[in-house]
Amino acid sequence: MSEVLIKNLKKVYDGGVTAVHDVNLHIADKEFIVLVGPSGCGKSTTLRMVAGLEEISGGELYIDGKLCNDVEPKDRDIAMVFQSYALYPHMTVYDNMAFALKLKKVPKDEIDKKVREVAEILDITQYLERKPKALSGGQRQRVAIGRAMVRDPKVFLMDEPLSNLDAKLRNQMRAEIIKLRQRINTTFMYVTHDQTEAMTLGDRIVIMKDGFVNQIGTPEEVFDKPVNLFVAGFIGMPVMNFFDGCKLLKEGDTYYAQIRNAKFKLDEFQQKALKQNGQQPCDIVAGIRPQHISVGSGELEATIEVNEMLGSEVNLHARSDKDEVVMVIPTVDLKTDVSMGAKVKFTTQPRLIQLFDKATGNNLVWYDKESADACAPVCKNYSF
Amino acid sequence: MNQTANQASAVALGRKSLGQRMKDNWQLYALLLIPVVLTVVYKYIPMYGIQIAFRDFRASQGYLGSEWVWFKWFERFFTAPTFGRMIKNTILLSLYGLLWSFPIPIILSLCINQLRFNRYKRVVQTVLYAPHFISTMVICGMLRIFLSPSGGLINLLFGTSIDFLTQSSAFRTIYIASGIWQDAGWGCIIYLATLSNVDTSLYEAAKVDGASVFQRIMNVDVPALLPMAILNLIMSAGSLMNVGFEKVWLLQTDLNKATSDVIAVYVYQQGIENAKYSYSTAVGLFNTAINLILLFVVNKIASKTSDVDFV
Repeated sequence: MSEVLIKNLKKVYDGGVTAVHDVNLHIADKEFIVLVGPSGCGKSTTLRMVAGLEEISGGELYIDGKLCNDVEPKDRDIAMVFQSYALYPHMTVYDNMAFALKLKKVPKDEIDKKVREVAEILDITQYLERKPKALSGGQRQRVAIGRAMVRDPKVFLMDEPLSNLDAKLRNQMRAEIIKLRQRINTTFMYVTHDQTEAMTLGDRIVIMKDGFVNQIGTPEEVFDKPVNLFVAGFIGMPVMNFFDGCKLLKEGDTYYAQIRNAKFKLDEFQQKALKQNGQQPCDIVAGIRPQHISVGSGELEATIEVNEMLGSEVNLHARSDKDEVVMVIPTVDLKTDVSMGAKVKFTTQPRLIQLFDKATGNNLVWYDKESADACAPVCKNYSF
Repeated sequence: MNQTANQASAVALGRKSLGQRMKDNWQLYALLLIPVVLTVVYKYIPMYGIQIAFRDFRASQGYLGSEWVWFKWFERFFTAPTFGRMIKNTILLSLYGLLWSFPIPIILSLCINQLRFNRYKRVVQTVLYAPHFISTMVICGMLRIFLSPSGGLINLLFGTSIDFLTQSSAFRTIYIASGIWQDAGWGCIIYLATLSNVDTSLYEAAKVDGASVFQRIMNVDVPALLPMAILNLIMSAGSLMNVGFEKVWLLQTDLNKATSDVIAVYVYQQGIENAKYSYSTAVGLFNTAINLILLFVVNKIASKTSDVDFV
């Protein structure tokens, strides 16, 4: 068992700046959790508080049931992989990996066995006698991971470990981490600003902004059921299209979303959710993912400004009134003229429209006030 | 044909010829001209005068008119009755100086680097730097007062009345200890600058690995300082025979000459006081040649024992 429980964790710096506000998070044993958000959102600070590298200003941190607020990093049974690898430059790869075990006074033959075993897993045996400066970025990152692995930690902490790698190597290492996770099967806490990394690696994702957790959920949940405008805009590539000046209408018992002059009758689950919430008609921002748009027919119209052919799909950047609209259309579905300057009709399925309250930015269907008030916001779990 | 080929290959490699680079960056080369001219005028042209070490120089006959005597002055120096004593004193004073003054700035910088309160850190640094700005003349005057047998601070502290400057056995300690007091703070600036560049994640990684403060110093700080320390060691070795003339001369008394008689003072006495220009030049040249050899030897040893090679 190596679960992490974070209760109302807070970080206030000397100048009074609050970097992390009341974070609540329960990371289950062997779960891979990813903290994601833009720079300065508090994700690294949260991770560093778990590691013991930052003092906790408020709240409680439990690792494996033990209160760890004032426990030294070495006694928390955690291992950390840093963005800059943090390999000791004067030591060989072998010594870097063996360092923590030497400090623990583990017998030499045991250290040797462990280091070679991990080196074998990470395919770095041939580099054991080299110094870090003689390694490439990817190899250094493997060594940094290996150094953490030899300790058999309860919790594996990773602070943007792939940020220093080029795009190709990053993809490769991402796949390596997925494989590694299956092999070592321990609890992971991973920080990144890259939503692709978050989506591909995490069992659950914690999306943070300005020190607040905005949503905690599985990759599918944060993609399909974003609780607010920020999450909707942050997750997904290309970014979700937002249509301002829209309205939520109610005619009798039926809800409609009005986008420009088009009126969409909402899907059954949306109707039920809005009814359950007692939602009144209001001004909304409608969100539609670029992948959820189809062109050729429909109630909405746009003028193509840029056409990016990517082979299997085409990215269209168009203008619809004041809004810029991005559409991702599979090439096989393309039956209309999408050359630059062409006018196209487009539409979407009503169930794929996200409805955000213009005043609060919260999703009218998925925002769960109760969990948000408890500082552990998740999407609403309806039982219709 | 060859020139054309070279130019073509330079172009192919995207490189410009030296002339072209100078033309493109003439402002930078103009700035470079000043130090180059100063070096040539003050460092290289005077080397022309070295020849008087091999001549019986007479001012009236000039450099070229003076008679060649080859190694006469060197032989005289090597057979001088004080030769052994001067060499021994020079080497011992330098070696002891190196032994004590070399590690202290490193230790000091490691300690200062551990201070967490920045304001206190700055005060400590300023207090340590301050003696460096006192001139040698004033330092020696202060030392004479501190060490005075009648009311000197040291004698007052120990309740004695010893005239330390007349004790030849005390000279090296006085010379080296005062040198450390004056320059250790200044010497640690470069080490502190090096430490400030150490990636903080290394300390954090060591913390997570379970290293104590001392282990972090030994495994992160010390290796980071090593290249700079080796460079300083090589530089110090290159001037091992150059014991500062001024301070020795100012602290020298007839009674401590057994340990304070060094080559630098001897060169001054022979050259300036006795006007034996050829002889003092020969002694100075010998000194420089030894320094040059030491510089290469230490660099060779340093490059073999570590990854650092500066010369």
